[in-house]
Amino acid sequence: MNSLHETQRRFTNYALRDMGQELAAEDIKSNGLTAQQRLAIYRNNTQMGLTEALRDGYPVVNKLVGTEFFNQLARSFIRRHPPKAGCLLSFGGQFGDFIATFESAASLPYLPDMARLEWCWHEAFHEADATALELASLAKVAATAYSKLGFTLHPSARLLASDYPILKIWQSNQEDYEGDGGINLDENGCHLLIYRPHWDVVIVPLPEAEHQFLDLLAMELTLIQAVEQVMVKAPDFAVQAVLQRWLNNGLLTNIVYKP
Amino acid sequence: MTHVQHTFTASSVIPVSAGIGLRSQHYNDVLETHPTVGWFEVHSENYFGKGGAPLLYLEKIREDYPISLHGVGMSLGSVDVLDGQHLAQLKRLIDRIEPGLVSEHLSWGSFGGDYLNDLAPLPYTEEALLHMANRIAQAQDFIGRQILVENPSSYLEYQHSSYKEQDFLNELSRRTGCGILLDVNNAYVSCHNHGWDALDYLQGIAADRVGEIHLAGHTVNRVAGMDILIDTHNQPVCADVWALYETALQVVGAKPTLIEWDTDVPALSPLIAEAQQANSCLGVGHELAA
Repeated sequence: MNSLHETQRRFTNYALRDMGQELAAEDIKSNGLTAQQRLAIYRNNTQMGLTEALRDGYPVVNKLVGTEFFNQLARSFIRRHPPKAGCLLSFGGQFGDFIATFESAASLPYLPDMARLEWCWHEAFHEADATALELASLAKVAATAYSKLGFTLHPSARLLASDYPILKIWQSNQEDYEGDGGINLDENGCHLLIYRPHWDVVIVPLPEAEHQFLDLLAMELTLIQAVEQVMVKAPDFAVQAVLQRWLNNGLLTNIVYKP
Repeated sequence: MTHVQHTFTASSVIPVSAGIGLRSQHYNDVLETHPTVGWFEVHSENYFGKGGAPLLYLEKIREDYPISLHGVGMSLGSVDVLDGQHLAQLKRLIDRIEPGLVSEHLSWGSFGGDYLNDLAPLPYTEEALLHMANRIAQAQDFIGRQILVENPSSYLEYQHSSYKEQDFLNELSRRTGCGILLDVNNAYVSCHNHGWDALDYLQGIAADRVGEIHLAGHTVNRVAGMDILIDTHNQPVCADVWALYETALQVVGAKPTLIEWDTDVPALSPLIAEAQQANSCLGVGHELAA
């Protein structure tokens, strides 16, 4: 008779990883079915339950590869990256990186970035609420403080860059899509902002310089430092228009003064 | 953003009438049609996010209805250390929603920090009883209120179990002050799968400890020539479970009763019809159900 600790260790190994079925079957009553058949019900429930949870978070990846292949991807993923909490909101974050290492997915080179986009969407959906910075508070900044001025982005903001037109692929796989579905994979990549200004998540394609600028603000550089860096590659970067746009659209939520 | 503490118009108390498992598909329907339903229950973990639409909708619906929080991920029976972050997230949700009931399962679901997202069975031994009682006490202390513990659907039993499931639950309740959530469908499923006597099971449950009843649909799977019932929550409550529910009401008395449906979730109306059926069994008049 095994201790509770050993019973749970063996059961978990089998249910998540298909390992040690005979060990896990010790101490289990057969009663019409074999202990192995009874255990297999739990293994199937566990693996299918986690596969469906992953599919819920990655509907476009699922649509692109089809149910069967998604199931294979999910089974392998679950063995390496099982949930680390009883709340599944954090489960599946490494799926994009995992797909990039999965050989039989190599024929869809944009798939890892699509998974990363869907994860950004998922995170943004559940992130904290925040109110937009009011223009008036910016007007109050003393001219002497400009050199230290920085901004906090909305907690839901995620910035993602891809060599592939993943936004177009994402859009053409939405239920309400009405375009012709033709995507040219040789088309250029994209720079995306994903955030949730109110209750709906939005995905905004950005020029590279604007994407870099927001990324630098998110990395807590001051406004002046960020502009200087962006202008190395984009000397005509229109910082006033960009700031105005993101103040108006609720992306900037606080002013910070860097020491 | 700091959250402003609500005081909701609707009472927090879960009435002795039928409630419905609230899923995201139903948010708009509930807010627009304001159906005559006594209360709603949600899975706590679906609202562990920091913000956004799920919490917004839950708070709006809480304005009009009592809410019960049902957990599926605390892994109470696990030998792992109880997850402090999980408990803190639950406590934050309790403070925000002011639920009438908080419940979890007689099961475990994690080992070594890996989670199964499933309700795995415990051996009903002295060792497991001590462990589970200790964990329930810890969780109740942390959140500062009683937890109802639900009997699971199970597909296997351990040879070294020395308690019947109903006795194990009663003993947990006696030792920790936790309540019992009697899932009649789970009792039906487990009794079928293990050859237990369902009436004996219900009569063995400490009636005064039962704070809530669950009803749901299950699936019949044929495994090696034997019918095994799987707790799928993907169809209506079957006739046999309705009959067992009627018996349960005679044995444990009228209790708040939840209609659960979690997979292939239908529109609200068939769930309301099932809730009305439960209300008739409870003797709750239509006008009293609101």
